Parts: sequence; C-alpha cells; structure tokens
Amino acid sequence: MSHIQQKIITLSVIVVFIMAVIWTILTYYNQKSLEQYNEILQRYMRMNEVSNRSQEAVTNLNNYLLAPSEERMTILNDSRRSVSEIEVELDGLQDQGNSFTLTNYRNMIGSLLESIELTVMMHEQNNRTERNSYFVEATKISKFISETTLTLISKELDTYDQFYKNIIEQSSNLKRLGFWMMALISLLMVLFSYYFAKGITRPIKKLTFAARELSRGRFDLDIEVSSNDEIAFLARTFDRMRININNLIVEIQQKAQLERDLQESKLLLKESQLMSLQSQINPHFLYNTLNTLSKKAYLEGSKETSDLIASVAGLLRYNLKRLDRDVTLGDEVSIMLQYIDIQKARFTDRLQFELVADESCYSVQLPGMTLQPIIENAVIYAVEPREEGGVIRMNITDAESMVFVRVEDNGAGMDPEKIQQILSELQVSSVSEGHSTGIGLSNVIRRLRLLYGREDVIDITSESGVGTSITLMLPKNIKQ
Amino acid sequence: MRKLLVFLLLMGCVISLCFTVYYFDKIFRSGVAIPGSEDVVEIPYRLVVISQEMDSPFWNQVERGALSAGKELNVGVEFWGTYRSNMEDFMKHVEIAIASKVDGIIVQGLNTEEFSAITKLKAAKYGIPVITIANDVSMNESLRKTYVGSDHLLVGGMIADQLVLDMQGSGKVVVMVSDREEEYQKLRLQGILDSFENNPNINYKIVTSGDSSEQITSATKQLLNEEPDTDAFIGVTSDSATAIVQEVEKRSSLENFHIYSFDDNPETLNYMRKGYIKATIMQSPEEMGIESVSLMVKWLKGEVLPLNHVGYYTDVKVLRAEDVR
Repeated sequence: MSHIQQKIITLSVIVVFIMAVIWTILTYYNQKSLEQYNEILQRYMRMNEVSNRSQEAVTNLNNYLLAPSEERMTILNDSRRSVSEIEVELDGLQDQGNSFTLTNYRNMIGSLLESIELTVMMHEQNNRTERNSYFVEATKISKFISETTLTLISKELDTYDQFYKNIIEQSSNLKRLGFWMMALISLLMVLFSYYFAKGITRPIKKLTFAARELSRGRFDLDIEVSSNDEIAFLARTFDRMRININNLIVEIQQKAQLERDLQESKLLLKESQLMSLQSQINPHFLYNTLNTLSKKAYLEGSKETSDLIASVAGLLRYNLKRLDRDVTLGDEVSIMLQYIDIQKARFTDRLQFELVADESCYSVQLPGMTLQPIIENAVIYAVEPREEGGVIRMNITDAESMVFVRVEDNGAGMDPEKIQQILSELQVSSVSEGHSTGIGLSNVIRRLRLLYGREDVIDITSESGVGTSITLMLPKNIKQ
Repeated sequence: MRKLLVFLLLMGCVISLCFTVYYFDKIFRSGVAIPGSEDVVEIPYRLVVISQEMDSPFWNQVERGALSAGKELNVGVEFWGTYRSNMEDFMKHVEIAIASKVDGIIVQGLNTEEFSAITKLKAAKYGIPVITIANDVSMNESLRKTYVGSDHLLVGGMIADQLVLDMQGSGKVVVMVSDREEEYQKLRLQGILDSFENNPNINYKIVTSGDSSEQITSATKQLLNEEPDTDAFIGVTSDSATAIVQEVEKRSSLENFHIYSFDDNPETLNYMRKGYIKATIMQSPEEMGIESVSLMVKWLKGEVLPLNHVGYYTDVKVLRAEDVR
C-alpha cells in the first residue's frame, strides 16, 4: 500500500530518464561533430606534414651533399622513409573532389624521392653536373609539393564547404532542438505534476467534503473515491463507518417509535382504568341496591320492572368486571342482549332488533365491551332521534379464519368525514354524547387494533338516509 | 481559469512537441557525413591543359571544350595556366605536370628553348605525351605528339586574300608582328606573304614591335609619322589590332584605313561593328579543347597510333565587318 510513494518515485524516474536521454542525444551529436572536425583537421595536418617532411628531406640531402658522412646519410634515409610512409597514408585522404590533385601529389612525392635517389647516386659516382641538376630538381619538386599542399587544402575547403555549412546548421539545429525539448519537458512536467497533485488532493478533498457532511448529520451520502491508493483505503473505511452509523441511527429511530407506541397504549390503558374507576363509585352498593330494587319490584308484582332492573344490574356487573379482560363472543352477545332489553324498555316498539348468529363462533376471543358500544351507537343515531324508531340487525357469520360481526341500522347515516374520524381513532371520549358505559366507538376500534395487532379490524359503510353498516372482522386465532 | 491554464499548457506541449520532432527529424535526416572516399571514381587518365592566357575568352572556350570532353570520356582533365606573359610561371606549371607524372599534357606551344628542352627532355624521359594546342612549336625540334588548332598558314592567307579583295589588289600594307617569334605568328606571316606574292600591286612592310599594347601603340605612332600613306594594317599577334585602332583613331578618320585582325575577342568585335576593323578570323577554340583531349585519350588507349605528326586543324573562317553588323 505505498501507491503515493510509488507515484512519486515513478515521476522522479521518468524525469531522470528523460534528462538522460536528452543528455545522451546532445552529447552524441556533439561528440560526432567533434570527431568530424577532428578528422578534417587530421587531413590538414597530414597534408601539412607531407610538405614539412619533403622539405626536411631536401634539407637533409643538402646537408649530406655539403659534408657527406655515414651519420648524415642515415638521417637522409630516415627522412626519405618518413616521406614514403606519409605518402602511403595519403591514400585515405582521397575524395571525389581531390582525387586528381591527390594523385599528382603522390606522384610528385615519388618524383622527389627519385630525384633524391638520383642525386645521391650521381654524388657517389662523382658526377657533379648531373648531381647538381638532380639536386635542383629535387628542390624544385619540394617547392611544388608545398604549393600543391596549399592547392589541396584550398580544394579541401571547397569540398568541405557544404559540409561545414551543414555542421554549423546542425549545431544550430541542435541548439534549437535542445530549447524546444527543454520547453516540452518543462511543460509536460508542469502538466504531469498538476494531474499528479490533483490525483492526490482530489480524493482528500472528497474525503473532507464527506467528513463535513457527516459532521452536519447527513449520513446518506455515498463516499466514492476512484483512485487506488491509501486515500481510497481511507475513504472505504470512512464509508463503512458512515454506513454503520447510519444503521445505528435507523435502529435507534425504530426503538424510539416502539417506545412511543408503548407509551400510547399505556396512556390509553390508564384512561380506561380511570373511567372504570369513575364508574366504580360504590359499585357494590349500586349493584346491591339494584338487586334489592329488583326483588322489591318482583315482590310488588311488577315483574317487568324487576327484570329490567336485573338487566341493568347484570350490565353493570359485567361492565365492572370485564373491561380489562378478554371475553368470548358469546359473553358479549348475552350482555348485548341484556342491553337491548333495557333499551327496549325505554323505546318499546320503536326499537326493533334482529339477531342472526352462527353460534359456533361464540368462542372467539375479543376485548370486553366491544359489541355494546356499537349497538349503543346504533341506538343513539338510528332509533333515538326518530319518532318512528328504527331497526337494528346483527349478523354473526363464520368466514374461515375470521368471524364477521355486522351491525346494520336504517338510520340517517354518517357522513364520510365522521367515518374517517372514527377510523383514525380521533373521536374524543363521547361521554358527553350520553354513552352509558362511557366507551365510544373509537375506543372499541383502538382496543381491537391493539389486541389483534392489525389495522383492518373494522369496516364502516354508510349511506345518507338508508343506514349505516359496521362490520367487525375478528380473527379466530389471536396472535400473541 | 484553471481549465484555460491546462488548455494553454497542453497547447504549449503540442507546439513544442511539433518543433522537437521537426528538429529531431532534421538533425536525423541531414546526417552530416564527411565527403568520403567511398564514392570516388577511379579516373583512368589524368590530363592537364596548360595555357599562357587563362581567362581570355578564347581560352575559356578551350577550357570548356576540354573539360566537357574529359567528362564525356570519363578522364580527369584539369585546366592550368598563367595570366598573360608570365612565362616563368607557365614553365613551372609544365614542370609540375611532369613531376606529377600526369598521363598527358596538352599545352599552348611556346617558342623558347626552355620549353622545348623541358618537353623534349623531361616529358619524354617520364614518357608523358605532349600535344600542343592553339599554338604549335616547330615540328622538327619538338617531340610533341601532334598539334591541335587552327592552320595558321591558311589563316594568314585567308586574311591576306580578304585584304586584297577589299583593296582591289593595290595599296600599302603594314604587317605588325611581335618580336616574340611564336610559331603561329611565323606561319600567319608566311601565309600573308604567300598571298601577297601573287598580288604584285600590294606594297607591304613588316613592322616588328614588342608584345605589350604600349609597344604596339608607339610602333604604330612611329609608322604613321614615317609613312602617312599607309592604307592598311594587319595585326598578326593577338590584341595588336585593337591597339592599332586606338592609335589610328587619334589621328585621322578610320574610314580610310583597312585594319585586319586575327582575334575574335569582344573588343575586336566591337570595333568591327563600328567598321574600324574590316575582317578577322573566327577560330574554334572549343573544338580545339574537345579534339585535343579526345586525341590524347585515343593515343593513350592505343586506338590511334601514331598521331598525325603535322597536326589536326580545326575550323577557321573569315569574319567580315558586314557579317558582324
């Protein structure tokens, strides 16, 4: 995981490499030009050397002629040898411009050597005239050689004119090449380092931005870093941390929601307990008194009143005992019937009640005081306000895993807003509306929902002027 | 802003890359090489043409002819020489040619002992063939292989005939010759005299002067003083006619004189255009150059053996003043 280090090292290596390449190229070409200059200079030197050596040979010849000795003869022979040596070397100097003159030149050297030899020979034969004429010739030829050297060099300059121009142009080109290469590399370096630095700083910037967002409490933004260095590693770690925090927060929120729900049900419980306490004011006294009143009415021959009072007492007792307990549908139906009896005593013929029940369903569990408030509701809205009274029908049907309890009336009907209010449990306690138990429809719905843990426990349909139908959907098996 | 900067940098990169590649290519391609010995063509023969009058129009044409013939025959030909009247230097060139053991010497003949000694002794000793060009040396004394140039005997006759024609067979003629007794001058004079012998009404006088233009001028001056009734001049040596014209011009109308030359240099042609010089000889210097080189090569190759000892004459023709106009 040393990517940044790698990047830096790579950059340095590239820079060094390019520099080395440039250096090599420039040095190579410089070296080449130098060698070429050298070679040309060598040519000049060699030509000059020919001239010098031939003059030297003539001088040595002269010395020998003036005072012949073994020693001087050796010197003369040496210089003759050196002249013929350099004559061989001249071979390499040939080019298309000077081949004519160069051949002449070499022949001249040959002539010089011959003349020298003849001079020496004539000298040895004591032929003075001949010797002198050959010596003069040798001197002349040596002069010619010097002159031809100059001619050759000037020819050389002619031949190499273009070459010199080329070399000069080459070196100026090299200079320009160096300049442009330098410019190119500098610019490339700037660009490269710009992107290189960007490659390092951009992930850091992203990371900084992400950290700032996190610190502001936004945990839902992804952190994406596309590079593959340490920063990316950092970013991945950071992202994992963000996801973990996010999950934790969601969990906490869910828990808080649960808590709130719990709190609510507790409040509801308390409310109902309070209500039950309110209606418990001396309940046994009330219950006993009602029983006494029932017996007294019975004794006084008013059987109907007696029954009525007994029903009220039964209702009261059920109400007291069963409010915070689950009961069976059968219990509910019987207490509901007692309530109907009481209401019938009140409304006589105006209240007509029809019950169609599948008794096999009576074992279904449901919260206490569920049916009575619904019936009471129907009585209050469909029977009480109307002079001609109303009909209330109750149907209990078995539907496989459910039991449907439908209560229909033929009252004025409810407006949809009210239905909505009831369904969303917004209706406040309707004690003021004269409920005997103080338990309203909303209360019933809430308790059903709490017990079954589901929302669709009730269905209300209503048509203005035709009636209202409330259906309870009770599951046979209560989920615990 | 940053984008602009990056863009500019990129542009800079591209531009400098272009230049770098351009110069790199240039350097790479030019590949300066020392003119090497690898493309040297071995020349079979080295011939030298030596002149005494380099850079004269006549010899420039000879040079052109010789060099082109050399190129065509694929032999090396060099044109050496001296500017006017530097005989010592001229001899040195001949000696250098001999010392260089060239394969053939084509030389403007010189009628001096030194010249004949050198050509005879040294050149022959080294076995170097010598061809004279434009000006011959006396055949018998020299070991030259042949002569290439104008037939000066014929030329002299042609000019003399033209003069006789122009003057209707009678008049007084002065023939100006140089004291340097060149072979061509001798031959031209011979030709003139041969022609005059057939025309007895022509009075002629041979005047010898120096070679330089001052000497010719003074000789002319003296002549005009001594013999004012002269009708015509023939300048036998090169450039003598122009000097005569200049001198005569100062004295009297040129219309009365018939002046003849043997040169076709621009100055002469100019005077001819004016009518001052009546006629001259057109030689064929280029042909001489070509002919001499090809003869030399032929001899060296053994194709023509021996060469015609008398010589190979090139075309000549009389150029009259009317032709020039």
